[in-house]
Amino acid sequence: MKINEITENIKIAFEAMRVNKLRSLLASLGVVIGISFVILMGWVLSGLDQALEDTFNIIGTDMLYIDKWEWAGGRNWKKMRQRKNITYDQATEFCEKIKSAELAIPNAREFGYKIKYKNEEYQGMSFIGTKWEHSMTPAGATLIGRHFTQFEDDIGSNVIVLGYKVHQALLNDGDPVGQYVKIEGRKFLVIGVIKKQGTMLFDFVDNQCFMPIKAFQSVFGRSGRSVSIAIKAGSIEYLDEIRAESEGLMRQIRNIKPGEENDFSINETKAFESTIEVLRLSVWGVGIGMTVLSFMVGMIGIMNIMFVSVTERTKEIGIRKAVGAKKRTIWIQFIVESAILSFFGAIIAFVGCSALVYLTATFLPKIVPATAFLSPVLPYELLLIASFVSIFVGMLAGVIPAVRAANLDPVEALRREN
Amino acid sequence: MELKEENRNGTTLIEIEHIAKIYRMGTEYVHALRDITLQINKNDYLAIMGPSGSGKSTLMNIIGCLDTPTKGKYLFKEMDVSEMTDNDLASIRNKEIGFVFQTFNLLSRSTSLKNVELPLIYGGFGASARHEKAMKAMENVGLGDRVNHKPNELSGGQRQRVAVARALVTEPSIILADEPTGNLDSKTGLEIMNLFNELWKAGNTIIVVTHEEEVARFAKRIIKLRDGLIEHDSVNHHQRALTEEAQP
Repeated sequence: MKINEITENIKIAFEAMRVNKLRSLLASLGVVIGISFVILMGWVLSGLDQALEDTFNIIGTDMLYIDKWEWAGGRNWKKMRQRKNITYDQATEFCEKIKSAELAIPNAREFGYKIKYKNEEYQGMSFIGTKWEHSMTPAGATLIGRHFTQFEDDIGSNVIVLGYKVHQALLNDGDPVGQYVKIEGRKFLVIGVIKKQGTMLFDFVDNQCFMPIKAFQSVFGRSGRSVSIAIKAGSIEYLDEIRAESEGLMRQIRNIKPGEENDFSINETKAFESTIEVLRLSVWGVGIGMTVLSFMVGMIGIMNIMFVSVTERTKEIGIRKAVGAKKRTIWIQFIVESAILSFFGAIIAFVGCSALVYLTATFLPKIVPATAFLSPVLPYELLLIASFVSIFVGMLAGVIPAVRAANLDPVEALRREN
Repeated sequence: MELKEENRNGTTLIEIEHIAKIYRMGTEYVHALRDITLQINKNDYLAIMGPSGSGKSTLMNIIGCLDTPTKGKYLFKEMDVSEMTDNDLASIRNKEIGFVFQTFNLLSRSTSLKNVELPLIYGGFGASARHEKAMKAMENVGLGDRVNHKPNELSGGQRQRVAVARALVTEPSIILADEPTGNLDSKTGLEIMNLFNELWKAGNTIIVVTHEEEVARFAKRIIKLRDGLIEHDSVNHHQRALTEEAQP
């Protein structure tokens, strides 16, 4: 019996919408906008999450980085500035002594120097002096050519592996291998290009050039900077063990007395996650604020049209009551109608957003490459959530008009002239 | 006196004892019904007459369970209607009462068959049972070939026939008609009254509310109301039989 009533009510609702197409469309506009917000926001965030995960995989989730600076920046910035630099010798000693790590290499970084190729000049990237084992980390995989060898490392050859963006800027996709570039007046032989790894958030990883650390020191000097140490654990399970050993070893190398605080930081990709979480939350916060607002507008729109509908169909309600419709039946009829009206708005939003998302993800990255992380397809969970939300909003908007319809006095309603 | 004799033979369907209906209009109270006592038996054919303002519509609404009396007792098949909830009343209307209105009161967007099916939907019948019963009712009123027409594609007389079919489809205990010929020309009106006559002969109980003598003449019993009271309640000795010329 109930199934009967519901299917009948759905038919009535569709009939009412068919008769008043334009009015129904306008009434559901608020919901269309609200659902669109939810869908688009979810779409951007899910793309962002995917991009982040990809980036973390490149930086390496099984990597630890010992540095003078703490990545998350939670600690006092001034205090970190007062820390003594990690010298090249300390870093080398550490790399030699650490036992539990699969790999440990020193990375010296310089920023703000130019790189020249023929008449082209590029600035704004960093030079990194490292060991040949860098090629064995995820960040060291090459797209063109090769990484430098152990031999080149040992003798400090003037060879360089360009970052993806540096290659694009200087050679504009031309074959770089065998070409010479100039850094601070010295010639370097280009031997390879690192795979493109960056995303919108972390495009600095494509903006680095790698050279043997001895060559680096002969260009930029041996001291005067803090060297960081990249440690590859081999697997996430070993991170805790390695972190513990690294801390002890580093304290010993830097002569920190028991009870004194560390004057270095052990960073990992997790540190980014908390920073990103703040970003995510603020996107959600703004998005949810706007969504709630547009749903309010949507609800008012639907409620309004349902009141009109109840008034217009007072006679019909009277007839239905006269032939035996109970209060609950009339109530359900209008709730169902309201829910369907709202769901109809959601469907319009699905279609509109799908088209928009497809076009955006197809064409925008050609203009703004940083948006390449966007997916051309909407995640189905989002559509499911949006469907439920729209139906819920519709039902909520229909409650008061439906109660009014259900409580109409049949005698009064039948007397109405419409 | 003749009435009482008949009661002994028939089964009592409706017993109304000293009911009154008082409306509040602003600060004034309107006594639509003052004191009505009435008994209606199975297979009665009753006309309720009276000038406008006499309370006949109010009485019809109460008999039809659309409204409840302010005072007094109303027993329908020995059930006390004056104590019922809105849902119980809806259920009685659905199963026991078939309404026929002056303005037909059909759903304009639905076909005549769907209109006839409406009470069955609320009665909880499945789609196939609904279709079958509604088809039968449409055939009974001579509109078996008009089931897919919407009300605006039918003549006034045909619309009223659809309304009668809708009233009949649940096989109710009484058919309650409020000025059923009021919106029809006299020839078509006659056709509808003939239809009621046939239904009465087939064993139905019919109550017609009207102010037209012509309509009341078909009834077996005539009640005249005035100012919320029964002025006259008598058997119609000149009950009009089926007229051949009015047959459709």
